[in-house]
Amino acid sequence: MEAQRRAKWSTRLGDWFDERFDVRIPLENFLKKPVPKHAIKWYFCLGGITFSLFLIQGVTGILLSLYYRPTPEGAYESILFIMNNVRFGWLIRSIHSWSSTLMIAFCIGHMLRVFITGAYKNPRELNWVAGVALLLLTMAFGFTGYLLPWDQKALWGSTVGSEILGIVPLIGGWLLGLLRAGMEITGLTLTRFYGIHMLVLPLLAFIFLGFHFVIIRRQGISGPL
Amino acid sequence: MNESDDRIQDEAQGRPVSRRGFLKYGLLGFAGLATAVGVLTPIVAYLWPPKVGASGAGGRVTVVSTKDLPPGAGEIFSVANKPVMVIHTVEDDYVALSATCTHLGCILFWDVERQVIACPCHEAYFNTTGAVISGPPPAPLEPYRVQVEGDEIVVEGGQG
Repeated sequence: MEAQRRAKWSTRLGDWFDERFDVRIPLENFLKKPVPKHAIKWYFCLGGITFSLFLIQGVTGILLSLYYRPTPEGAYESILFIMNNVRFGWLIRSIHSWSSTLMIAFCIGHMLRVFITGAYKNPRELNWVAGVALLLLTMAFGFTGYLLPWDQKALWGSTVGSEILGIVPLIGGWLLGLLRAGMEITGLTLTRFYGIHMLVLPLLAFIFLGFHFVIIRRQGISGPL
Repeated sequence: MNESDDRIQDEAQGRPVSRRGFLKYGLLGFAGLATAVGVLTPIVAYLWPPKVGASGAGGRVTVVSTKDLPPGAGEIFSVANKPVMVIHTVEDDYVALSATCTHLGCILFWDVERQVIACPCHEAYFNTTGAVISGPPPAPLEPYRVQVEGDEIVVEGGQG
């Protein structure tokens, strides 16, 4: 046998980084948290599933953006092109569409679990607040994404949906105009929703997700019932 | 028997990889590879340039009707995914030429007023036979075979 066994390559790679950045201990403190026994249940996975769906939405969304055209003339046509001409375009778009629905469902499932196990209570109130923000962001993703196919369902769905904003007392009409970029849904609404869907919401989602995860690491998950 | 007992036994018998380790990493590796291929195949296929439009059977493309291209007019059409300039000359002749400049590959345009093919990039001009009038292009434009069938103009793709 060799006098000195060479360490595993992964250990040596870790050593290389640790030598330079001194990160092993802080990283281990942050990442190595055993899941407590009471939490090894399927309904403690709902949040993780929601996040996985978020990642899937990121990947499929980037792929869709490579063929989608956010103009009144080009939007529906580009959707048909994705569905009929692009290889696996039907698959990528369908995954994006189904995952969006599932993401809201799993978000709500995760919130029910947190609510029923009382995990939102002191000291975790702020993480509940961040979670509610993430639910609202998910719904905003769904709402803005709904218009993008630019078919009849999208147009009237968004008309009815945005109409709700108009009944806010006093400033409703003003908010409605701000959301639609005018008093009705036009090409300006389409590019506005596109920008919100592609840039504003992902940025906000990353901020709130980061907050959500850092807090859960810092506080650990709540104890058994 | 646990894993470390296995390893001690395997090492004693001079086996560098234990049976358990082989099965564990073999199966994990196979599952990982299968998943990666299953996910990456649709993504790479998705990114692959999709076919755009049908460019006609046998490389023959009906580009435009003769009444939409009056004498003195020239227009660019896609033939076998390449831009082709079709010109109806003032002498009532039809000409089809590659619309890619032989200098640095810019797409040419038809200058109606001067009745020449012009390049927007470096001020190059070609006449209706494809010969260089002025500018940096090192070679004339490749001609395409063009025919009038009834009142349709047909260009044959891939002709030199």
